Amino acid sequence: MSRGGPPQNEPLWGDFPDDVAAVTDGSKPPDWALPSWDSIPAEETAPSRRPNAAPARLPDAARAPAKDAAPAAIEPRADTARPALHAPVGGFEMRIFQVSEITRAVRDAIRADAGLRDVWVEGEVGRVTVSSAGHAYFTLKDERSQLACVFFRDDRLSSPFEPRTGLRVVVHGRVDLFESQGVYQLYVTAIQPAGFGDLALRFEALKAKLAAEGLFDTARKRSLPDRPAVIGVATSATGAVWHDICHVVARRWPVARLLLSPCQVQGEGSAASVVTALDRLARWGEKCRAEGRPEDAPAVVILARGGGSLEDLWSFNDERVVRAVVAHPVPVVCGVGHEVDVTLADFAADVRAPTPSAAAELVVPDRTEILVVLGELSRRAGGYTGRTLAGARSELAAEGRALDRLRPSAQLAQARERAGYLLDRATRAIRSEIGRRADAEGRLAARMRPVLVAQLAARHVAMERSGASLAALGPQATLDRGYAIVRRRSDGSIVRAPAEAPPGEHLTVRVAQGEVAATVDAGPATGRVPAKKRPA
Amino acid sequence: MSDQTAATPAVDVGSLTFDEALVELQRTVAELEQGGLALERSIELYERGVALHEHCAGLLGQAELRVQRLLEHAAGQLTAVEARSEEEAD
Repeated sequence: MSRGGPPQNEPLWGDFPDDVAAVTDGSKPPDWALPSWDSIPAEETAPSRRPNAAPARLPDAARAPAKDAAPAAIEPRADTARPALHAPVGGFEMRIFQVSEITRAVRDAIRADAGLRDVWVEGEVGRVTVSSAGHAYFTLKDERSQLACVFFRDDRLSSPFEPRTGLRVVVHGRVDLFESQGVYQLYVTAIQPAGFGDLALRFEALKAKLAAEGLFDTARKRSLPDRPAVIGVATSATGAVWHDICHVVARRWPVARLLLSPCQVQGEGSAASVVTALDRLARWGEKCRAEGRPEDAPAVVILARGGGSLEDLWSFNDERVVRAVVAHPVPVVCGVGHEVDVTLADFAADVRAPTPSAAAELVVPDRTEILVVLGELSRRAGGYTGRTLAGARSELAAEGRALDRLRPSAQLAQARERAGYLLDRATRAIRSEIGRRADAEGRLAARMRPVLVAQLAARHVAMERSGASLAALGPQATLDRGYAIVRRRSDGSIVRAPAEAPPGEHLTVRVAQGEVAATVDAGPATGRVPAKKRPA
Repeated sequence: MSDQTAATPAVDVGSLTFDEALVELQRTVAELEQGGLALERSIELYERGVALHEHCAGLLGQAELRVQRLLEHAAGQLTAVEARSEEEAD
């Protein structure tokens, strides 16, 4: 390949040295990269058109019977019809070769070298061109030389790793010569990033060092808040990860607020960017607390990044990132890459999630679960009427319209009250209380319908008994347990203090099975009112 | 607990955050279950509990996720700006 400077306007061959420069400036692909042998234009295939090889000589030389001319070459052939113009004068053992002969000789020499048939070469990828047929052509460079490489379509497509300009790679293949262009090339069969082993070694070394410091200790892992109001997210502002996190939280726990601290998650400077993003969230939390609004401070932080190559994820193995995660004031959930990707940031995090979406799921509860909890709480809030209320609730849940049915009745009860239709105030108070409860239960039930769908099916039959159950909402349940309502017969007011029932006062005592009339026969002796009952 | 529960009815349920409402609901239920309350007080608590429950369920059912973006200014000052449109544009 070493040749003198050809004319500047020489196509293909002559251009090569210039193209070597072009490889670095990227303006133009090298000649061997342009036409692959499945698309070489006809006029460029003939090496004999090479003008800088003494064009005046070539036609004659080409006609010389050179192929098996070893004996004839001993003496200049005087009998040659058209002797070569520049036949070496008196050139013993001189002969003129055809281009293809030289090419073939070089090719054979290369092929004869077993060491070149199976080589591993490390270098930096220069310009890469992919032909229409899908073959990749690229150069491998080091400080002193470069090597043309061909990566055929099938090998390329099955390779997990593509040559990309600027990457350091190790390629495997054989060296051969492409005759029609006279170039020697490395025919690549496999390619992988250089330093793969180095990275693994560095990873293990750093992991051991940080583990020795106790940074990965289970004991220092913090537990996540149950229901964070504000969730800090350190990830790239663009891309699927941020979107996925928003989506998961919006679905599961829309009560929360997400606070994005954008950062660069791959490439040069990404580790520093991640550290800055975490620091921003920490400072924001401090600021919120200092300003007396701690509810705006993130309660938990998600550090996330989508899947990628080992290099892409490398910033999450950076010592600075690990330390920033450990030092963060609130728990950090790390979701980097896919499930198989484990970074040092994952080890350092308080919780490691297999993916960014999983991280989002881990930090917030599911609202349907919480609705069940709420339902349970409201069931218990029913207190002593709990059983009857639960029955009424599921029946009402079956009918969203129960709400509308109940509302007018509650209004009616109020209207009656205003009109003075109910004379017994105690009874009225209890009835309106029950009316309010039923009303509230109706609204409650409408809210809880999605959660209670399963229960609904089971209790569908019970719906038929709705009216009866509602009737049971009266004070009967209380009375059944042995309580009594004591009223003065004179004005119907409930007796709460002994003074309200002086001796001789006539009382009505309501018990579970009915009412009894009573008369107070003595004044309060021990703070209690002995009452003499008589049949009603 | 008693001073908290005595103070809570003054707070409008609608102004509570989900967590505040849920915590109060849990407390209310515990107090109801403890018993020994006057009828009026237990009804009051029960109604408060129902309102709290409704508020919680309403927040969960209707809440729309708020998304903010933390911006850092030249002097290192931080502000959080609403960023809902960005989430939807993605």
